[in-house]
Amino acid sequence: MSLSKEEVRHVALLARLGLDDDQIERLEGELNAILDHINQISQLDLDAVEPTTRSIPVVNAMREDVVRPGFDREMALLNAPDREDGAIVIPRIVGPGGGDQ
Amino acid sequence: MSNFSIAELSAAEISKLVTSKEVTAREVAEQAISRIDAHEKDIHAFNQITPDMALAAADALDEKIAGGATAVELGPLAGAPVAFKDNMNLVGTNTTCSSKMLESYQSTYTCTAVQHLLDANTLPLGKLNMDEFAFGSSTENSAFGPTKNPWNTDCVPGGSSGGSAAAVAAGMVCATLGSDTGGSIRQPGAFTGTVACKPTYGRVSRYGCVAFASSLDQIGPFTKTVEDNALILNAICGKDDMDATSVEREPEDFTAHLGDDITGMKIALPTDMLETQGLDPEIKASIYEAAEKLAAAGAEIGEISLPHAKYGLSAYYVVGPAEASSNLARFDGIRYGHRVEDAEDVLDLYMRSRAEGFGPETIRRIMIGTYALSAGYYDAYYGKAQKVRTVIKQDFDDAFKDFDIILTPTTPTTSFKFGSKTTDPYAMYLSDVFTVAVNLAGNVGLSIPVGCAKADNMPIGLQLIGDHFQEQKVFHVAHALEDIYKFHSVPANLK
Amino acid sequence: MAKDRLTEVLERYEAVIGLEIHTEITATNTKMFCGCPVEFGGEPNSRVCPVCMGMPGALPVPNKAAIEWTVLAGLATECKIAPWSQFHRKNYFYPDMPKDYQISQYDLPFCADGRVVIDVDEDGVEERLDRETADNVTITDDGYAAEIGITRIHLEEDTAKMIHIGGAEGRIAGAKKSLVDFNRAGTPLMELVTEPDLRTPEEARRFAQKLRLIWLALGVSDCSMEEGSMRVDANISLRNHGDTELGTKTELKNINSFKSLHDGLAYEIVRQAAILDEGGRIIQETRHYDVTSKVTSALRSKEEAHDYRYFPEPDMVPFQFDEAFVARIRERLPELPDARKARFIREYGLPTFDAKVLTSDHEMVEFYEEAVAAAGVKNAKAVSNMVLNDLSAYLNTSGLGVLETKVSPQHIAELVGLIDDGTISSKQAKEVFTFMTESGDMPAAIVEQKGMKQVSDAGAIESVVEKLMVQFPDKVAEYQGGKKGLIGFFVGQVMREMQGQANPQVVNQVLADKLDNA
Ligand SMILES: [Mg+2]
Ligand SMILES: [Zn+2]
Repeated sequence: MSLSKEEVRHVALLARLGLDDDQIERLEGELNAILDHINQISQLDLDAVEPTTRSIPVVNAMREDVVRPGFDREMALLNAPDREDGAIVIPRIVGPGGGDQ
Repeated sequence: MSNFSIAELSAAEISKLVTSKEVTAREVAEQAISRIDAHEKDIHAFNQITPDMALAAADALDEKIAGGATAVELGPLAGAPVAFKDNMNLVGTNTTCSSKMLESYQSTYTCTAVQHLLDANTLPLGKLNMDEFAFGSSTENSAFGPTKNPWNTDCVPGGSSGGSAAAVAAGMVCATLGSDTGGSIRQPGAFTGTVACKPTYGRVSRYGCVAFASSLDQIGPFTKTVEDNALILNAICGKDDMDATSVEREPEDFTAHLGDDITGMKIALPTDMLETQGLDPEIKASIYEAAEKLAAAGAEIGEISLPHAKYGLSAYYVVGPAEASSNLARFDGIRYGHRVEDAEDVLDLYMRSRAEGFGPETIRRIMIGTYALSAGYYDAYYGKAQKVRTVIKQDFDDAFKDFDIILTPTTPTTSFKFGSKTTDPYAMYLSDVFTVAVNLAGNVGLSIPVGCAKADNMPIGLQLIGDHFQEQKVFHVAHALEDIYKFHSVPANLK
Repeated sequence: MAKDRLTEVLERYEAVIGLEIHTEITATNTKMFCGCPVEFGGEPNSRVCPVCMGMPGALPVPNKAAIEWTVLAGLATECKIAPWSQFHRKNYFYPDMPKDYQISQYDLPFCADGRVVIDVDEDGVEERLDRETADNVTITDDGYAAEIGITRIHLEEDTAKMIHIGGAEGRIAGAKKSLVDFNRAGTPLMELVTEPDLRTPEEARRFAQKLRLIWLALGVSDCSMEEGSMRVDANISLRNHGDTELGTKTELKNINSFKSLHDGLAYEIVRQAAILDEGGRIIQETRHYDVTSKVTSALRSKEEAHDYRYFPEPDMVPFQFDEAFVARIRERLPELPDARKARFIREYGLPTFDAKVLTSDHEMVEFYEEAVAAAGVKNAKAVSNMVLNDLSAYLNTSGLGVLETKVSPQHIAELVGLIDDGTISSKQAKEVFTFMTESGDMPAAIVEQKGMKQVSDAGAIESVVEKLMVQFPDKVAEYQGGKKGLIGFFVGQVMREMQGQANPQVVNQVLADKLDNA
């Protein structure tokens, strides 16, 4: 499998990375070189093997429903690039985006 | 006593001097500060030095001692100068991950493992340089310039926890914390001649350590001695309510078997892995030499094969970036971090803030990971890599039915020169060839220095791999090797 | 739009409707993955922590209670509880999502494969043309019941709230900037997805209402559509009757009332039919129903095909629930609306109509139960009458909710008791009821204070009757001549003489006795 320039551009959009043409071009080469190595695993026949998402087999790690102190408001907004009335300010939202929750 | 040197002494030794009132904690802090001052411009281990915090902690400790607190109450690390990789949050410091993205990000809470060390009465000297967001094996990917290897400043200290390794090897502090996703503790440990441990996955809380790959990341210690390493792990391990992947275990003391006889300990050499292309002959020889010496000390040496380990790197370079692409999505310029000034709209804000804030390797990893998870490719990449994980884990499980420890090189080569691997990303990735499988399977891995290579006089590290939660056995054998080789982590010219 | 237009369209096309209903779990103390409190309102960003603001290094830890509530919701809708389940990450960028991924569930939700039965009566019945033949439909006395499949219920985290500034009516379109408040971010959110089993806007409305009743009976959420704690999205497509392939669907979002759900779907069905009639094709898109203009419009075009890059959430471990766990949760199941309705009919002897109306309102039915508990089961029907007539009428005219008036279930029970033991007449009771709504005083006290005690003493009534017989000899004669209807005249006269305080039953008895035997 290899990535076309258009796919690189699409992936960059998915990842919200505003890359210029030079970067896209460079990445096309670099990513394909890396994928060449990664593709080693495609040789393996692992159809009968279950995937491992987590190496330590633990289940049911849950938290009791007890309130914990959170941020005081100053700490919550300490690093906010732009704030107003205790909220974080962002520019207008247009174009693609949003999920279906 | 004023002629003590933190470069010569272990954390445990310094702690004994402090709690027995032979030196004050303030003297220790001051010496650490002056050593950092003296060597930082050559080494650049730190992103931020916190002399005020260290002195405040020292004074608080001295006060406790003056008030009659005993060594047992204060713990075996009291007064030890320490520092933290700059991906661990500590209120009062910035947490930058060596990225322009977080250049001015102030910690809003404190990482659990860091808090444990502060609670152990250590002296926090600052935050340590790293590859940006822990992506790299040389610290050359730091947005704030690379860290140098104290053994040869033309060479890399390894990465991504290069600052953590170099700070210990330069004798600036006694112990540091790093994080290891595919070798980021053990590889710089090997390159700098320090003892460096990646604990079993789930042993140490990840809360507060900026995530690279959630299913692989573990925090672990860099120290000059095996005992220090075990003591630090004693302090930072344990179930944390804030990390659902941290594991509840019966309390145990990792120093319990230090100095015990290793007779009957079963140690395996993975012969197929030792044929890996590009493995430095001197390092390969050092493995067989170590095996002989361990045998002489009473261990039983055997051979195994880990047939799928060679696929570890490929699987790792899918799983790691995939999780990272998601973990790093939050750096979007909305709530914190780099935000372009003049964004037209939110999409424009995202696109440019992220492209400007992230360095080239971070962008590469996010791109690979996004691609590997994207529609139509999930099964071929992410799904397949998780299956590789299963078979690698099975190989280890089989090996640990018959053996206590697997002995491998930590790295295929010793430390390399700056710039020598920056043009081909994959050449750099090969640094992790012996370490990634351990992260994929969740095992404990520790790098222990066994001397310097004749060819370049740079340290060689060997990796001891133990089964899940078998840290005691790993420290036990590591201590035996330490006794045999008596390697000192700080090079002579820096003592 | 005219109702008959919808019916006409439904004769030619079959509407296929599926719902996705998000409900915030408001029953927990804390958010889904952190210890911040779950509350409504408050200063922006005053209930946040490193976890729900997506600070670097923070990790989610799942709230056990939220998971148990979801399992309970699954049991209440006859879902199977997954023995093995886990969270996934759903990756997309949006400023209301602190981590730019939502922790949700994908192929291993907590609950799957359930069902809810809805009842349709009145005007809605006619819209369902195949009600006699459809597999999932049963004809009932006053309409039909339809079984609606539940595909799944999964658990996820809610997003932050955004206020859009500079546009019209706080809408995102045309806004210059937005303010983000993370107080809501991380609230546990249950998402229920139905099978595409619904066929009419009325069924969709009934389903949403029924589900709300079930959730309220469980106590899992306050289910406020206005405050957004219950949010309904609807998928709708048309096809020819008899087709099995699904047509292209549109999705209705941001529906804020049951009426809008119905009206939006009705509009959309007619809109899609008009396009299909002209040989056009439906564009798959998200649409918004505007209550004022009563039309739907495209919300945003899907310029970018969504690629959520789901993968198992590595910050958490899977869940393995055994039968004992499920059994323990099952013990928490309260009586659900359908069971309660059946019990009212069976044990309280209520007519189906009463039982249905009472159980269609959560507050009302709780009020009713409390009143019956105080008045005794023998008075269940009388209590029902008072609740459905007097109280409902009062609520209508006053515009108050059941819990907002001065009338408590104890008031109703006492008032019914006063009628039952003959202390006052039903007519007097109406007066007492009015005093009660104004003062909040207990009925017995009102009766006492106003001197409204009913006279049941036959002797007293006899003397009045005898006096009247002397006063109206003609009427007596007419009565005895066979004009038995005149008894009403005499009752009226007795009541007038006795200022309405005579016990009507006794009056009737005495009158019949005296007049017949005079
Ligand atoms: Mg959802
Ligand atoms: Zn929170």
